[in-house]
Order: sequence, then structure tokens, then C-alpha cells
Amino acid sequence: MSSTTVQSGLARARRGVAPGGSGGRPRNNGLNRKSKLSAQTSRTYFWLLLTSVILLVLIHGYPLVYAGVQATHDGNLIETGNFVGVENFANVLGSAAFWKATQFTLIFTIVGVFGSWLVGLGLALLLRTKIPAGGTFKVLLLLPWVVPIVVSSTAWNWLVATPESPVPSLFRALGLGTPLFLADPTLAAATVMAFKVWVSFPFMMMMTSAALASVDNTVYEAASMDGASRFQQFSQITLPLIARSTYISWILMTIFCVNDFPTIYLLTGGGPVDATTSLVVLAYRKVFQDFQTGPGVAIAFLMTLTLVIVSVILYRQIRKSSVE
Amino acid sequence: MSAVLHAHPESGPALGVTETGKPRRVLSEAGMRGRWWRFTLILAITAIVLVPIMVTVVLAFTPGPTSTATGFTFENISYVFSQTLAATWLKNSLTVTLATVVVSVAVAAPAGYVLSRGRSKAVSGYSLLLFVMQSLPIITSVVPLFILFAGMGLVDNLLGLTIIYVGSTMTVATWMMAAYFDSIPVSLEEASWIDGCSVFGSFTKVVLRNSLPGVLSTAIFAFLLAWNDYLVAIVFLRSNEIFTLPMGVQSFFQQNLTDWSGVMALAVIMMLPPIIVFATLNKYFSVGGIGGSLAGR
Repeated sequence: MSSTTVQSGLARARRGVAPGGSGGRPRNNGLNRKSKLSAQTSRTYFWLLLTSVILLVLIHGYPLVYAGVQATHDGNLIETGNFVGVENFANVLGSAAFWKATQFTLIFTIVGVFGSWLVGLGLALLLRTKIPAGGTFKVLLLLPWVVPIVVSSTAWNWLVATPESPVPSLFRALGLGTPLFLADPTLAAATVMAFKVWVSFPFMMMMTSAALASVDNTVYEAASMDGASRFQQFSQITLPLIARSTYISWILMTIFCVNDFPTIYLLTGGGPVDATTSLVVLAYRKVFQDFQTGPGVAIAFLMTLTLVIVSVILYRQIRKSSVE
Repeated sequence: MSAVLHAHPESGPALGVTETGKPRRVLSEAGMRGRWWRFTLILAITAIVLVPIMVTVVLAFTPGPTSTATGFTFENISYVFSQTLAATWLKNSLTVTLATVVVSVAVAAPAGYVLSRGRSKAVSGYSLLLFVMQSLPIITSVVPLFILFAGMGLVDNLLGLTIIYVGSTMTVATWMMAAYFDSIPVSLEEASWIDGCSVFGSFTKVVLRNSLPGVLSTAIFAFLLAWNDYLVAIVFLRSNEIFTLPMGVQSFFQQNLTDWSGVMALAVIMMLPPIIVFATLNKYFSVGGIGGSLAGR
């Protein structure tokens, strides 16, 4: 079960069909018992799906509908409040904080996606070559993805938080001044993004490794016989062959970055002076610190909308690049 | 599919391939030198990347500033167990996580079977629905759920937390199970149907029995999601003795900003289970599933 889960999932979503490509289906194989089996099968399917449907309605369906109610009311966590129409959306869209958070989310996402992709791709290519103990390195390099964010953010805090922390001390010793990694707005944003890349590159590395493993090595032999350079082989053969998987990993990482909460919140809490406040952090603060449910949920809704639009654009790209 | 971590292509593009097509011969002196150069490079990268994790481990087992001990010590670990609610938090985290794993698999396996075998419009519609729900930000549903659960006494409650975790794992978990069931040929089931077995019977006796890798991948995914979650926990948990480990670590950290030995001891306790799971079951570790798992967390 590797990236294939997601890849086949996306492929299915694009085609709009249920999974089940490889197998046939029961009701086609029963021959003389066809109709009897079919009715019985449908009944069984119904019962097998029931708990899943109930949970989906309770945990996903209901909240989504209720969030729609909250976004159009001026209530708080205790009362629904009065219906205010699109006022919350208007307020949110008219506030500077929202646009600042949008800008940060955008930069955070772009750096998160491409930063982790470049690092992951580089390492995947390196690990694809013969290296002593290569398998061990591959496992060790996955640790940033496995270790809980709560733990790694604590370690990062210890490393960079105060002027006396090890990393600023190292910079001082090298005569580079004393950077305030979490206190300076620009540096704090950069630190949060570096942390995100550190957490996410193993995912990209795994996705890319899986894609590279399916590339037939004989194509390189043919290419080098034709006089293609290493770089040409990489850009003309490797990249196009893993393009589909690459796009899928970009889409997923975009979703992870936009929806990310702990990476930012645990390192900086959204500060200093809101420099690292993403849309999720802003929505969280609005609801649970300012007790303004309506605007908070409105932000979450706008985010959902953006995510859908971005995914649609990227889906189209996948379809275009499909090398099936 | 589960071979992500085992894939060691025999020769890569960076390996010299002669025009005669005999890669082995090139691996002479220059090839060997390249190998060790790359080894040094990856060793350096890995060392830098793992600094935060090594720091955590080292600090957890180094005596704190007020301690009289020297060298390696378990002092910090025993300190957090005796002076904080670490044992309770650990127990809470384990309870919630194991419950999430068991229930997620129990819900996702039958649903995944229907997604894998069924071909009706309703089934494909449901499958799309799961996919859409999966990519929505969790913050959207957390607020309404908070209000719903407050009315039911499920806020600050481990059962409430488990229900939300099961809800957030079920979409990806169902897809993962369905993808695995796809790889089990229907012909295996046909044989049992001819023997008079029902569809449900063939699902449990034939399909499920042959799906251990799929179940394990799904279980690992659910485990990591529930174990690592912070957003749901910070919203739903209020009292110290109901905290799961992420909340415990954070609250201790915020109250004792300078007690790094204590924080790191808690951090080590928290990262141990995922690392054990990863170390023992890494061939079932799934990129896609785990990818989905951390969306929005």
C-alpha cells in the first residue's frame, strides 16, 4: 500500500467510479443464480456500508451543514445568534487580517510544496543509486514524518527560540550576528516554512521513490546510447515518467499545507505580530479565542472554496499530463 | 504496493552504464569512489536532518541543571512520571489511539469491500463523497462538532475524542481498504459462492482473511493520526487528567518553559510508540494513507 492508494483514488475520483478496477463483480459471475445473488448482494452491501454512512453523516455531513448555519449567524459557541446573511463573509473579506493570513498561507504553501518536493526528489534520486546502507538511510530519513509534530516542534523551539539557543549561538560564533528566529517577523515566517519542509520532505521522498521504482531502467540505457547527457536523461525521461505521481504529490501537499495547524501554531502561535498567522490559525483564534464563531467559520468556508478551486486546476493538469 | 521501503533498484541513472550495456564493469574504481562519496553526502544530510530528534533523546537522558547526577540518567523520565500526569496522559493516548484503530478498521473494512466490489451508482457516489470529505479542512467541522458534543457531554471526554478520530480516519481508511481488496481476485470468492457461501461469508472468510497487509496499513494510518493529533485535542480537551500526550507535553512545556529535561522526557515518551510501530511494521507503512492522515492536522 503505497502512493498507489492515493493515486488510484484520484484516478477513480476523476473517472467518477467506485474502486474495483481489477476485479469483476459478483453479480456478473453467478450465471444461473444471477438475480437471486444480486438481490442478496445488494442487501449485504447495504448492511456492510451502514456504520460508515452513519459516521459520515454524523462527523462530516452534519457539521458541514451546521457550519453553513454558523457562517451566516452572529452567534458564539453557546448560542446560534441571529441570521446576518453574508455579513460575516463581507466582514472577513474586508479585514486586513484575513488578507494578511491569505498571503502568508499562499507563501507558506508554495514554499512547503516545492521546498519539500525539491528536497524529497533530490534525496530519492540519491537513494536510487547504489549507496552502502542505502536502505537504512531511507528509513532514518522518514523519521521527521513519523515523529509527532508536538515533539519535533519542541525540539525546534529548543534549537532556535531564544538568543541563547544553540542555533543562534552558532551563528554568533560564526560572526553572523544573533538571528532572532522566532521573534523577528520575517525570520519567524522563514523558520516556520523551514520546519514545514523538514516535516514534509519524507512524504515527497517516499512518493518520488515509489514512482522512480516503477521506471524501467532500460530506457536510460537506450538514451545514453543515443548520446543523452545525465541532465537530459533526467529532464527528458525521468521527470515526464514520474509527472503524474509528482502532480498528485503536489496536490496532496497543497492540501496539507493549507490545512496545516500544528506546524505553525506550536512553533510560533501565529506570531510575532501575526506574521505567521495562516488562515487555519486565524479561524481557530476567531472561534476559540475571540469567540466569534461566524467570522471564524466563514474563513474556514472560504478556505474550503479555495482548496476546491486549486484542486480542480491541478486535477486538470494531471489529466493533461496523464501518461497512462 | 507495500514495497516502498524495499525498492532498491539495482541500478540507477546516475550509475555509469557503458555503451556495451554492461553496467557491472564500470563499477570499478571510479564507481566505488562515487559510491563512497554519495555515502558521505547522505550520511551528512541524514545527520543534519535528525538533529532535532537526537537533541530530544539526548536532553531527555541528560541530567537537568539542578541535578547532581552525571552522564546518562533516567532521572527525567522518572521525574515526569512521578511529578506530572504523564502516566495518565500515556494511558489516555493509548486508550484513544487503540480504540480508534480497532473501530476505524472495523468500519472501513466492510465499507471498503463494498467500494471495491460494488459497481452501482450509489456506491460510486459514496466513494466520491468520501474523497471530497477527506480534503476539507478539519477546522470547518470541529466548531459545529464542539457545540453538538457539548450538548451530549462529550467535550473533555475521551469517548468524544475517539468518535472524532474515527470520523476523520474513516474516509482515507475506507479508500485504503478498498484499494487493497481490489488486489484480491474475485475468482477466489466465486469458489466459495459455489460452495454455498454468502457474500458476507466470502467477505469475512476469503477476502478479510487474505488482507492482513491492507488491514495493517490502515491500522498504522489510524494509529498515527490519533496519536499525533493536536488540533482536535486542543479544542475538545479541557482538564489535565483527560489530556492525551500531545496536550500533556504542550501544557507542561507552557508551564515550565525552562524545564527542558522534563519536556524532552515527555517528548521521548510520546515519540516512542510511533517509532516502535514504524520500526516493526515499516513495510506496511503507506505513503498515500499517511499522507491523507495528516491533512489538516
